[in-house]
Amino acid sequence: MSASRNDMASPCVSLHGLCASFGAQRVLDGLDWQLTSGQVVGLLGRNGAGKTTLIETLLGVRDADAGQALLFGQPSHALPDAVRARIGYVPQRSDLFEWFTADQLLAYFRSFYPRWNDAKVRGLMSRWDIARDKPIGQLSGGQQQRLSIVRALAHEPDLLVLDEPVASLDPAGRRDFLGELVDQVVDRGTTIVFSTHILSGLERVAVEVAFLTGGRIALHAPLDELLESSVRLGGVPADIERFVAEHSLQALSRDARGPVVARGRDSRAMPPATPTVSVDPATLEDLFLALTA
Amino acid sequence: MPDPSFFSVVAGSAEPIYRQLVAQVRRCVAGGQLRAGDELPSVRDLAQSLAVNPMTVSKAFGLLEAEGLVTRRRGLAMVIAEQHRRPQPAADRIDLLRPTLERAAGEARQLQLPAAQALALFKTILNEHEGE
Repeated sequence: MSASRNDMASPCVSLHGLCASFGAQRVLDGLDWQLTSGQVVGLLGRNGAGKTTLIETLLGVRDADAGQALLFGQPSHALPDAVRARIGYVPQRSDLFEWFTADQLLAYFRSFYPRWNDAKVRGLMSRWDIARDKPIGQLSGGQQQRLSIVRALAHEPDLLVLDEPVASLDPAGRRDFLGELVDQVVDRGTTIVFSTHILSGLERVAVEVAFLTGGRIALHAPLDELLESSVRLGGVPADIERFVAEHSLQALSRDARGPVVARGRDSRAMPPATPTVSVDPATLEDLFLALTA
Repeated sequence: MPDPSFFSVVAGSAEPIYRQLVAQVRRCVAGGQLRAGDELPSVRDLAQSLAVNPMTVSKAFGLLEAEGLVTRRRGLAMVIAEQHRRPQPAADRIDLLRPTLERAAGEARQLQLPAAQALALFKTILNEHEGE
Protein backbone atom coordinates (compact mmCIF):
# COMPACT_ATOMS: atom_id res chain seq x y z
CA MET A 1 0.00 0.00 0.00
CA SER A 2 1.33 3.40 -0.91
CA ALA A 3 -0.54 4.99 2.02
CA SER A 4 1.75 3.41 4.59
CA ARG A 5 4.80 4.63 2.66
CA ASN A 6 3.60 8.20 2.88
CA ASP A 7 3.21 7.84 6.62
CA MET A 8 6.92 7.24 7.03
CA ALA A 9 7.61 10.91 6.51
CA SER A 10 4.63 12.38 8.37
CA PRO A 11 4.31 12.18 12.14
CA CYS A 12 2.02 9.41 13.38
CA VAL A 13 1.24 11.34 16.56
CA SER A 14 0.98 15.10 16.46
CA LEU A 15 -0.20 17.15 19.44
CA HIS A 16 -0.57 20.93 19.40
CA GLY A 17 -1.42 23.14 22.36
CA LEU A 18 -3.17 20.32 24.14
CA CYS A 19 -4.93 21.33 27.38
CA ALA A 20 -6.80 19.05 29.76
CA SER A 21 -8.05 19.47 33.32
CA PHE A 22 -9.15 17.38 36.23
CA GLY A 23 -11.83 19.54 37.85
CA ALA A 24 -10.08 22.82 38.59
CA GLN A 25 -6.61 21.40 38.13
CA ARG A 26 -4.99 21.89 34.76
CA VAL A 27 -3.08 18.68 33.96
CA LEU A 28 -1.98 19.36 30.38
CA ASP A 29 -1.11 22.96 29.68
CA GLY A 30 -0.53 23.72 26.02
CA LEU A 31 1.39 20.55 25.33
CA ASP A 32 3.13 20.07 21.97
CA TRP A 33 4.55 16.69 20.99
CA GLN A 34 5.40 14.87 17.80
CA LEU A 35 6.18 11.20 17.22
CA THR A 36 7.41 9.96 13.87
CA SER A 37 6.98 6.42 12.56
CA GLY A 38 9.22 3.75 13.96
CA GLN A 39 10.19 5.62 17.12
CA VAL A 40 10.26 3.81 20.45
CA VAL A 41 9.66 6.42 23.13
CA GLY A 42 9.54 6.17 26.90
CA LEU A 43 7.28 8.80 28.47
CA LEU A 44 8.63 9.62 31.91
CA GLY A 45 6.96 11.63 34.64
CA ARG A 46 6.29 11.47 38.32
CA ASN A 47 3.09 10.21 39.88
CA GLY A 48 0.30 12.62 39.04
CA ALA A 49 2.28 14.36 36.29
CA GLY A 50 -0.54 13.56 33.86
CA LYS A 51 0.89 10.66 31.88
CA THR A 52 -2.42 8.79 31.77
CA THR A 53 -4.31 11.98 30.90
CA LEU A 54 -1.85 12.66 28.10
CA ILE A 55 -2.20 9.14 26.71
CA GLU A 56 -5.99 9.17 26.94
CA THR A 57 -6.22 12.57 25.28
CA LEU A 58 -3.75 11.55 22.60
CA LEU A 59 -5.92 8.53 21.79
CA GLY A 60 -9.18 10.47 21.88
CA VAL A 61 -10.47 8.41 24.83
CA ARG A 62 -10.71 11.70 26.71
CA ASP A 63 -11.69 15.12 25.30
CA ALA A 64 -9.18 17.94 25.37
CA ASP A 65 -10.21 21.37 26.71
CA ALA A 66 -8.20 22.95 23.94
CA GLY A 67 -5.65 22.05 21.32
CA GLN A 68 -5.43 19.37 18.71
CA ALA A 69 -4.48 15.67 18.74
CA LEU A 70 -3.83 14.02 15.39
CA LEU A 71 -3.15 10.30 14.84
CA PHE A 72 -1.93 9.47 11.36
CA GLY A 73 -3.18 12.91 10.36
CA GLN A 74 -6.74 12.38 11.64
CA PRO A 75 -8.32 14.08 14.69
CA SER A 76 -8.11 11.48 17.45
CA HIS A 77 -11.63 12.13 18.80
CA ALA A 78 -13.18 11.14 15.47
CA LEU A 79 -10.98 8.43 14.02
CA PRO A 80 -12.14 6.49 10.97
CA ASP A 81 -12.25 2.71 11.63
CA ALA A 82 -9.35 2.12 9.26
CA VAL A 83 -7.11 4.37 11.35
CA ARG A 84 -8.43 2.98 14.63
CA ALA A 85 -7.42 -0.50 13.46
CA ARG A 86 -3.81 0.66 13.21
CA ILE A 87 -3.63 1.50 16.90
CA GLY A 88 -3.04 -0.81 19.85
CA TYR A 89 -3.64 0.44 23.39
CA VAL A 90 -2.82 -1.14 26.72
CA PRO A 91 -4.47 0.96 29.43
CA GLN A 92 -3.05 1.22 32.91
CA ARG A 93 -6.09 -0.28 34.49
CA SER A 94 -7.41 -3.37 32.84
CA ASP A 95 -10.59 -2.53 30.95
CA LEU A 96 -11.32 -6.15 30.10
CA PHE A 97 -14.80 -7.55 30.63
CA GLU A 98 -14.39 -9.53 33.79
CA TRP A 99 -17.17 -12.02 33.15
CA PHE A 100 -15.75 -13.06 29.76
CA THR A 101 -13.16 -15.78 29.49
CA ALA A 102 -9.93 -14.86 27.68
CA ASP A 103 -11.08 -16.87 24.64
CA GLN A 104 -14.44 -15.10 24.54
CA LEU A 105 -12.79 -11.72 24.90
CA LEU A 106 -10.35 -12.34 22.07
CA ALA A 107 -13.11 -13.71 19.81
CA TYR A 108 -15.12 -10.56 20.54
CA PHE A 109 -12.31 -8.17 19.65
CA ARG A 110 -11.31 -10.23 16.64
CA SER A 111 -14.58 -9.29 15.00
CA PHE A 112 -13.67 -5.58 14.99
CA TYR A 113 -10.39 -5.81 13.14
CA PRO A 114 -9.67 -6.50 9.49
CA ARG A 115 -6.36 -8.06 10.48
CA TRP A 116 -5.83 -10.48 13.35
CA ASN A 117 -2.80 -12.69 13.92
CA ASP A 118 -4.19 -15.95 15.32
CA ALA A 119 -0.80 -17.63 15.42
CA LYS A 120 0.68 -14.81 17.47
CA VAL A 121 -2.25 -14.89 19.87
CA ARG A 122 -1.98 -18.66 20.33
CA GLY A 123 1.77 -18.43 20.86
CA LEU A 124 1.58 -15.65 23.43
CA MET A 125 -1.35 -17.21 25.31
CA SER A 126 0.54 -20.45 25.81
CA ARG A 127 3.96 -18.88 26.38
CA TRP A 128 2.56 -16.42 28.92
CA ASP A 129 0.49 -19.11 30.54
CA ILE A 130 -2.86 -17.29 30.47
CA ALA A 131 -5.85 -19.49 31.30
CA ARG A 132 -8.18 -19.35 28.30
CA ASP A 133 -11.41 -20.63 29.84
CA LYS A 134 -11.51 -18.92 33.25
CA PRO A 135 -13.50 -15.72 33.75
CA ILE A 136 -11.05 -12.81 33.42
CA GLY A 137 -12.12 -11.52 36.84
CA GLN A 138 -10.48 -14.61 38.37
CA LEU A 139 -7.09 -14.07 36.69
CA SER A 140 -4.27 -12.45 38.65
CA GLY A 141 -3.36 -8.81 38.02
CA GLY A 142 -0.28 -9.86 36.10
CA GLN A 143 -2.25 -12.29 33.91
CA GLN A 144 -4.86 -9.64 33.16
CA GLN A 145 -2.11 -7.24 32.13
CA ARG A 146 -0.58 -9.88 29.88
CA LEU A 147 -3.98 -10.56 28.32
CA SER A 148 -4.41 -6.85 27.72
CA ILE A 149 -1.04 -6.83 25.94
CA VAL A 150 -2.01 -9.85 23.80
CA ARG A 151 -5.22 -8.10 22.83
CA ALA A 152 -3.32 -4.95 21.81
CA LEU A 153 -0.76 -6.88 19.72
CA ALA A 154 -3.19 -9.27 18.02
CA HIS A 155 -4.26 -6.90 15.24
CA GLU A 156 -0.64 -5.94 14.49
CA PRO A 157 -0.91 -2.22 15.17
CA ASP A 158 1.38 0.35 13.56
CA LEU A 159 1.19 2.47 16.71
CA LEU A 160 1.29 0.82 20.12
CA VAL A 161 0.49 2.92 23.18
CA LEU A 162 1.05 1.43 26.61
CA ASP A 163 0.27 3.06 29.94
CA GLU A 164 2.53 1.68 32.69
CA PRO A 165 2.65 -1.70 30.96
CA VAL A 166 4.86 -3.52 33.43
CA ALA A 167 3.31 -2.25 36.68
CA SER A 168 1.91 -5.63 37.72
CA LEU A 169 4.45 -7.88 36.03
CA ASP A 170 7.21 -9.70 37.91
CA PRO A 171 10.81 -9.47 36.60
CA ALA A 172 10.40 -12.57 34.40
CA GLY A 173 7.15 -11.17 33.03
CA ARG A 174 8.83 -7.84 32.29
CA ARG A 175 11.57 -9.62 30.44
CA ASP A 176 9.07 -11.59 28.30
CA PHE A 177 7.20 -8.42 27.59
CA LEU A 178 10.35 -6.51 26.57
CA GLY A 179 11.26 -9.42 24.27
CA GLU A 180 7.86 -9.14 22.64
CA LEU A 181 8.38 -5.40 22.07
CA VAL A 182 11.75 -6.15 20.47
CA ASP A 183 9.99 -8.54 18.07
CA GLN A 184 7.42 -5.89 17.20
CA VAL A 185 10.18 -3.43 16.38
CA VAL A 186 12.22 -5.90 14.32
CA ASP A 187 9.32 -7.50 12.46
CA ARG A 188 7.01 -4.58 11.90
CA GLY A 189 8.79 -1.32 12.73
CA THR A 190 5.95 -0.52 15.11
CA THR A 191 5.92 2.94 16.65
CA ILE A 192 5.80 2.43 20.40
CA VAL A 193 5.16 4.86 23.20
CA PHE A 194 4.93 3.74 26.79
CA SER A 195 4.63 5.60 30.05
CA THR A 196 6.38 4.65 33.21
CA HIS A 197 7.01 6.47 36.48
CA ILE A 198 9.83 4.36 37.79
CA LEU A 199 13.01 3.41 36.01
CA SER A 200 11.75 -0.08 35.37
CA GLY A 201 14.14 -1.50 32.82
CA LEU A 202 11.87 -0.27 30.05
CA GLU A 203 14.60 2.18 29.08
CA ARG A 204 16.41 -0.80 27.61
CA VAL A 205 14.09 -0.69 24.62
CA ALA A 206 13.45 3.06 24.48
CA VAL A 207 15.61 4.81 21.94
CA GLU A 208 14.05 8.13 22.91
CA VAL A 209 12.80 9.52 26.19
CA ALA A 210 10.32 12.31 26.83
CA PHE A 211 9.87 13.98 30.22
CA LEU A 212 6.38 15.20 31.16
CA THR A 213 6.27 17.90 33.81
CA GLY A 214 4.21 21.03 34.44
CA GLY A 215 1.69 19.90 31.82
CA ARG A 216 4.21 19.93 28.99
CA ILE A 217 6.95 17.82 27.45
CA ALA A 218 9.99 19.42 29.07
CA LEU A 219 12.45 17.50 26.93
CA HIS A 220 12.30 14.81 24.23
CA ALA A 221 15.64 13.47 23.05
CA PRO A 222 17.46 10.30 22.01
CA LEU A 223 18.48 8.60 25.26
CA ASP A 224 22.07 7.87 24.16
CA GLU A 225 22.65 11.45 23.12
CA LEU A 226 21.18 12.74 26.35
CA LEU A 227 23.37 10.49 28.50
CA GLU A 228 26.47 11.43 26.55
CA SER A 229 25.91 15.16 26.77
CA SER A 230 24.68 15.45 30.35
CA VAL A 231 26.65 15.78 33.57
CA ARG A 232 25.79 15.80 37.25
CA LEU A 233 27.49 18.66 39.07
CA GLY A 234 28.35 18.86 42.76
CA GLY A 235 29.43 21.86 44.80
CA VAL A 236 27.98 25.05 46.25
CA PRO A 237 25.42 26.84 44.04
CA ALA A 238 27.61 29.89 43.29
CA ASP A 239 30.51 27.72 42.08
CA ILE A 240 28.19 25.56 40.01
CA GLU A 241 26.58 28.61 38.44
CA ARG A 242 29.98 29.96 37.42
CA PHE A 243 31.00 26.54 36.10
CA VAL A 244 27.82 26.22 34.02
CA ALA A 245 28.40 29.68 32.50
CA GLU A 246 32.10 29.10 31.80
CA HIS A 247 31.45 25.89 29.90
CA SER A 248 28.28 27.18 28.19
CA LEU A 249 26.22 24.36 29.66
CA GLN A 250 22.46 24.34 29.75
CA ALA A 251 21.14 23.81 33.27
CA LEU A 252 18.37 21.20 33.24
CA SER A 253 17.45 21.06 36.92
CA ARG A 254 14.12 22.52 37.85
CA ASP A 255 14.29 21.96 41.57
CA ALA A 256 17.04 22.96 44.01
CA ARG A 257 16.44 19.75 46.01
CA GLY A 258 17.18 17.41 43.11
CA PRO A 259 20.59 16.68 41.60
CA VAL A 260 22.15 19.48 39.55
CA VAL A 261 22.22 18.28 35.97
CA ALA A 262 23.46 20.27 33.00
CA ARG A 263 23.74 19.50 29.33
CA GLY A 264 26.57 20.43 27.02
CA ARG A 265 26.08 21.36 23.41
CA ASP A 266 28.67 18.85 22.37
CA SER A 267 28.06 15.26 23.20
CA ARG A 268 30.89 13.34 24.87
CA ALA A 269 32.92 16.42 25.72
CA MET A 270 32.71 16.28 29.49
CA PRO A 271 34.17 19.41 31.08
CA PRO A 272 36.91 18.63 33.62
CA ALA A 273 36.12 18.90 37.33
CA THR A 274 37.61 21.77 39.35
CA PRO A 275 38.63 21.79 43.03
CA THR A 276 35.21 23.25 43.88
CA VAL A 277 32.92 21.53 41.35
CA SER A 278 32.66 17.78 40.83
CA VAL A 279 31.59 16.47 37.43
CA ASP A 280 30.10 13.01 36.87
CA PRO A 281 28.32 11.50 33.92
CA ALA A 282 24.57 11.76 34.49
CA THR A 283 22.36 8.68 34.62
CA LEU A 284 18.75 8.50 33.44
CA GLU A 285 17.70 8.63 37.08
CA ASP A 286 19.63 11.90 37.56
CA LEU A 287 17.93 13.32 34.48
CA PHE A 288 14.53 12.09 35.66
CA LEU A 289 14.93 13.69 39.10
CA ALA A 290 16.27 16.91 37.64
CA LEU A 291 13.70 17.32 34.88
CA THR A 292 10.49 16.13 36.51
CA ALA A 293 10.67 18.00 39.82
CA MET B 1 30.73 -18.26 18.04
CA PRO B 2 29.83 -16.62 21.33
CA ASP B 3 26.33 -17.28 22.57
CA PRO B 4 24.19 -14.10 22.92
CA SER B 5 24.34 -14.69 26.69
CA PHE B 6 28.07 -13.97 26.41
CA PHE B 7 27.09 -10.27 26.40
CA SER B 8 25.51 -8.32 29.20
CA VAL B 9 24.35 -4.77 29.77
CA VAL B 10 23.22 -2.77 32.77
CA ALA B 11 20.24 -0.47 32.41
CA GLY B 12 20.30 2.78 34.36
CA SER B 13 24.04 3.30 33.95
CA ALA B 14 25.49 6.63 32.82
CA GLU B 15 27.14 4.69 29.99
CA PRO B 16 24.73 4.21 27.08
CA ILE B 17 23.95 0.56 26.33
CA TYR B 18 25.52 0.65 22.87
CA ARG B 19 28.81 1.84 24.41
CA GLN B 20 28.69 -0.96 26.99
CA LEU B 21 28.43 -3.46 24.14
CA VAL B 22 31.27 -1.89 22.17
CA ALA B 23 33.52 -1.84 25.24
CA GLN B 24 32.78 -5.51 25.93
CA VAL B 25 33.72 -6.63 22.43
CA ARG B 26 36.81 -4.40 22.51
CA ARG B 27 37.97 -6.05 25.76
CA CYS B 28 37.24 -9.60 24.59
CA VAL B 29 39.14 -9.00 21.34
CA ALA B 30 42.06 -7.46 23.25
CA GLY B 31 42.08 -10.43 25.61
CA GLY B 32 41.84 -12.97 22.81
CA GLN B 33 38.50 -14.40 23.95
CA LEU B 34 37.15 -13.31 20.58
CA ARG B 35 39.43 -13.87 17.60
CA ALA B 36 39.51 -13.34 13.85
CA GLY B 37 36.65 -15.18 12.20
CA ASP B 38 34.55 -15.59 15.35
CA GLU B 39 30.94 -14.76 14.55
CA LEU B 40 28.86 -12.25 16.47
CA PRO B 41 25.21 -13.07 17.19
CA SER B 42 22.70 -11.45 14.82
CA VAL B 43 21.24 -8.08 15.77
CA ARG B 44 17.92 -9.72 16.39
CA ASP B 45 19.23 -12.54 18.58
CA LEU B 46 21.32 -10.20 20.68
CA ALA B 47 18.50 -7.65 21.01
CA GLN B 48 16.16 -10.45 22.05
CA SER B 49 18.52 -11.98 24.55
CA LEU B 50 19.43 -8.65 26.18
CA ALA B 51 15.88 -7.23 25.83
CA VAL B 52 17.24 -4.06 24.26
CA ASN B 53 16.17 -2.16 21.18
CA PRO B 54 17.62 -3.66 17.97
CA MET B 55 18.64 -0.15 16.89
CA THR B 56 20.90 0.01 19.92
CA VAL B 57 22.60 -3.24 18.90
CA SER B 58 22.94 -2.04 15.29
CA LYS B 59 24.54 1.15 16.53
CA ALA B 60 27.09 -0.83 18.56
CA PHE B 61 27.87 -3.10 15.59
CA GLY B 62 28.27 -0.08 13.33
CA LEU B 63 30.78 1.46 15.71
CA LEU B 64 32.68 -1.83 16.02
CA GLU B 65 32.90 -1.99 12.26
CA ALA B 66 34.14 1.60 12.07
CA GLU B 67 36.83 0.75 14.62
CA GLY B 68 37.96 -2.18 12.49
CA LEU B 69 37.10 -4.74 15.15
CA VAL B 70 34.48 -6.58 13.12
CA THR B 71 33.73 -7.13 9.46
CA ARG B 72 30.29 -7.11 7.93
CA ARG B 73 29.50 -9.80 5.38
CA ARG B 74 26.46 -9.51 3.21
CA GLY B 75 23.67 -11.72 4.52
CA LEU B 76 25.92 -13.43 7.05
CA ALA B 77 26.79 -12.91 10.68
CA MET B 78 29.39 -10.25 11.48
CA VAL B 79 32.82 -11.66 12.28
CA ILE B 80 35.82 -10.47 14.25
CA ALA B 81 38.16 -8.84 11.72
CA GLU B 82 41.09 -10.60 10.14
CA GLN B 83 43.88 -8.71 11.93
CA HIS B 84 42.76 -9.81 15.41
CA ARG B 85 44.44 -13.20 15.45
CA ARG B 86 46.04 -13.07 18.87
CA PRO B 87 45.53 -11.25 22.15
CA GLN B 88 46.94 -7.73 22.35
CA PRO B 89 50.11 -7.10 24.39
CA ALA B 90 49.52 -6.89 28.12
CA ALA B 91 50.46 -3.19 28.12
CA ASP B 92 47.58 -2.37 25.77
CA ARG B 93 45.18 -4.47 27.73
CA ILE B 94 46.09 -2.82 31.01
CA ASP B 95 45.41 0.57 29.36
CA LEU B 96 41.84 -0.55 28.74
CA LEU B 97 41.42 -1.33 32.43
CA ARG B 98 42.85 1.99 33.56
CA PRO B 99 39.70 4.20 33.39
CA THR B 100 37.71 1.74 35.50
CA LEU B 101 40.46 1.52 38.10
CA GLU B 102 40.82 5.31 38.15
CA ARG B 103 37.15 5.54 39.01
CA ALA B 104 37.56 2.91 41.72
CA ALA B 105 40.62 4.72 43.09
CA GLY B 106 38.66 7.97 43.27
CA GLU B 107 35.91 6.26 45.22
CA ALA B 108 38.45 4.59 47.54
CA ARG B 109 39.92 8.05 48.28
CA GLN B 110 36.48 9.47 49.01
CA LEU B 111 35.90 6.56 51.38
CA GLN B 112 39.33 7.21 52.93
CA LEU B 113 40.34 3.59 52.44
CA PRO B 114 44.06 2.83 52.78
CA ALA B 115 45.65 1.60 49.54
CA ALA B 116 46.55 -1.78 51.05
CA GLN B 117 42.95 -2.45 52.00
CA ALA B 118 41.58 -1.43 48.60
CA LEU B 119 44.18 -3.60 46.85
CA ALA B 120 43.41 -6.57 49.10
CA LEU B 121 39.73 -6.25 48.17
CA PHE B 122 40.55 -6.10 44.45
CA LYS B 123 42.67 -9.23 44.82
CA THR B 124 39.89 -11.06 46.62
CA ILE B 125 37.40 -10.10 43.93
CA LEU B 126 39.75 -11.20 41.14
CA ASN B 127 40.16 -14.59 42.80
CA GLU B 128 36.43 -15.01 43.36
CA HIS B 129 35.93 -15.04 39.60
CA GLU B 130 38.99 -17.11 38.78
CA GLY B 131 37.02 -20.35 38.42
CA GLU B 132 34.36 -18.91 36.07
